[in-house]
Amino acid sequence: MAKSNKDLIMDPVFDNNPIALQVLGICSALAVTTQLSTSCVMAIAVIVVTGCSGAAIAAIRDRIPSSIRIIVQMTIIASLVILVDQVLKAFAFKLSQQLSVFVGLIITNCIVMGRAEGFAMKNNVKDSFMDGIGNGLGYGLILLVVGFFRELFGSGKLFGFTVLPLQSEGGWYEPNGLMLLSPSAFFIIGFFIWALRIWKPEQIEEA
Amino acid sequence: MPQDNKNSPLNVITLAVILCVVCSLVVSTAAVGLKSLQDANIALDRKANLLSVTGFEDLGSADNINKLFAERFDIEIIDLTTGQPAVEEAMEALSVAGKKMENAEETLVKYNQVWASKSKKDAVSDKISKNEDITQIKYREKFSHVYIMKSESGEVEKYVFPVRGYGLWSMMKGYLAVEPDLQTIAGLTFYEHAETPGLGGEIQSERFKSQWPGKQIYCEERENVLVKVIKAAPDNEYCIDALTGATITSNGVSKMMKYWLGDQGFGPYIKLKRGTVSETKETTMVTTGGNTNG
Repeated sequence: MAKSNKDLIMDPVFDNNPIALQVLGICSALAVTTQLSTSCVMAIAVIVVTGCSGAAIAAIRDRIPSSIRIIVQMTIIASLVILVDQVLKAFAFKLSQQLSVFVGLIITNCIVMGRAEGFAMKNNVKDSFMDGIGNGLGYGLILLVVGFFRELFGSGKLFGFTVLPLQSEGGWYEPNGLMLLSPSAFFIIGFFIWALRIWKPEQIEEA
Repeated sequence: MPQDNKNSPLNVITLAVILCVVCSLVVSTAAVGLKSLQDANIALDRKANLLSVTGFEDLGSADNINKLFAERFDIEIIDLTTGQPAVEEAMEALSVAGKKMENAEETLVKYNQVWASKSKKDAVSDKISKNEDITQIKYREKFSHVYIMKSESGEVEKYVFPVRGYGLWSMMKGYLAVEPDLQTIAGLTFYEHAETPGLGGEIQSERFKSQWPGKQIYCEERENVLVKVIKAAPDNEYCIDALTGATITSNGVSKMMKYWLGDQGFGPYIKLKRGTVSETKETTMVTTGGNTNG
């Protein structure tokens, strides 16, 4: 592969973002982004899983029979997700309680499967690992942006610290209830895609 | 490796088997290796919740939480039907249900009543009929924990009852702290739920929790559970203002109170305790009366 490490990691963040351009992995982007801290942990979990699953699948890609390749990928991804879940339960108990079922649902995140099937099956271990990390970062970036706006405008906080004092607690800010509901993430992702395509017009699809 | 060899049935099976063994090894090693850490986290979280619901603040480190808990809390296991202490009975029932406990001590610490209810085993749980099951737990465990917080001199300061019930999405599990008169609520907290963050999830917010202390549980005859969560609650000692946009969660909390403080839940225990409290009062009165007469 001619691509350098930097390209492998940075490409999926802005030029080929899995959420903004490929529109994959939307459901978990809606579910875990009401707070920045959960977005952050989720982003790290996905980066670890995409990176490691890419590397593991690339390592045995020449031996995977094409008839069972999808289930082999699933098995590897599922094992890694359980591993991440167990580690979170042991070392970040509070956050794992908040993320609850969504860590387990990384298994069904299309980005992970997409990179395994689309990239790791054809490339070497190092490149696949980098590509996984890059795609995880691209996903994580959107999660953090969405989480930032939702926590700030929905509950007046960032990482749990009060930024905009709420009316109900004696401040002046009336929280926007919509921000706490999943549909608001659609709006924010929409605005993000809009901004990204103004910056990089080549991403605009022909009508 | 040639293409057809890779796709031969033998190769497919070999690879599948090897992959399964490797993956299951990785997963089970992680699960077993981290289990003690995870269990410690859960136990610590429960203790922290018990301490915070009884008014302790700034709990600090894990050691501090464990120390405070050990100093100030007594754990009891009661028979929910009679309200009597029943550690021995619980131990026997647990061994019938397949969970052997070494001694009473271990039973007190390790008994898991949510497990007992979910196991649906006759020895440790009773099926609840549809119309009685207002809080949707399906099976009620026979034995329950009661946590008793004591002052430094050993007097009972608070009773804490484990309560749970279904909200909109999830089983909400929490602790209800009650003053020694068994009529005034001292606090409510939830240690596990999966209600919508920002809506039903607000059951864990200070704004909701701060409404509970001081509320009265029963009517004056001490028969019916009156405490409830309602919309636009009138300003009285029985009503808690419901959460905006979370009607079903709020109703769930209301029903949970009705169930666990009623005859199906801790009602018999509370009656028993109250009986002994009022009896002692009567005896003192009789003695005083006797003294006047003499």
